[in-house]
Amino acid sequence: MVPKTEIDYIKIYAEKLKSDSSIFDSQKRFIESQLKASISLFRNAFPKNKFKEKAREYLKARMLVN
Amino acid sequence: MASWNRDADNINLRLKMKTEAYKIEEKTIILNRELTELDKFVRKFLDVAKKYGDYLVVSGFVSISTGRIRGTEDVDILMEQMNELKFKEFFDDLAKNKFWCYQSDNAKEAFGYMLRFENIRFAREGEMFPNIELIPINETRKAKYFEFTHPQKIRVKDFEFKIPEIEFEICYKEIMLAGKKDKEDAAHLRVMFSEILDNKKLNEYKKIVILKDGAKN
Repeated sequence: MVPKTEIDYIKIYAEKLKSDSSIFDSQKRFIESQLKASISLFRNAFPKNKFKEKAREYLKARMLVN
Repeated sequence: MASWNRDADNINLRLKMKTEAYKIEEKTIILNRELTELDKFVRKFLDVAKKYGDYLVVSGFVSISTGRIRGTEDVDILMEQMNELKFKEFFDDLAKNKFWCYQSDNAKEAFGYMLRFENIRFAREGEMFPNIELIPINETRKAKYFEFTHPQKIRVKDFEFKIPEIEFEICYKEIMLAGKKDKEDAAHLRVMFSEILDNKKLNEYKKIVILKDGAKN
């Protein structure tokens, strides 16, 4: 199969993963690096003693909570 | 030559070590991978939630836990609507376990969201993401209630949790949610679990999703 669309790549990846669980290792690295970056971004963005207050302001401004 | 032999040995060793991504044992999907920090986050939340009712982990985390590579910020969890007293205990227990609620520090106020069937979001103290999006349901939410009552067990190491049946998750993503990301998630699940998918169930669940909640396309 020659991949043409994003879905094609997703299918090829899933097919390979199915028979080779070592591919999970790179997926783990991807997920954890994304989490680490996100956690660190918001920890640095808001002061520790006002984290919830500032986080709620941020969430409301972006309409992520009502 | 010696170097070439060493490379070949390494390749052969890797081939020998190749193992399948999952197996089925007593109707449980056993994933052959290590726990991620995201799994540990979900497990910590579920350890508290399970004391207050049944649950179902749905949507993006189902695809990600089964190997899909994509970013995520929230983990969607269905729970049955609970009464105010039970909710307060649950809310306080989450706080004791260092989760904070996006909407409020006040259990009574947060309970209002549950009453109105609005999602309630929780993250670890001092963090914004990842977060749990708690989706209150009851029998009136037909499709959601159907998946809630037809769970599939899945296990990573010692972490066992409940997801929808794979066939239902595929139908819900393809028909009900139908966004680009959802269709990609469904494509991943279709290939990943092609050997165990039940076509009869796929056809049956397609009808349930369309009839009970209506489809986007």
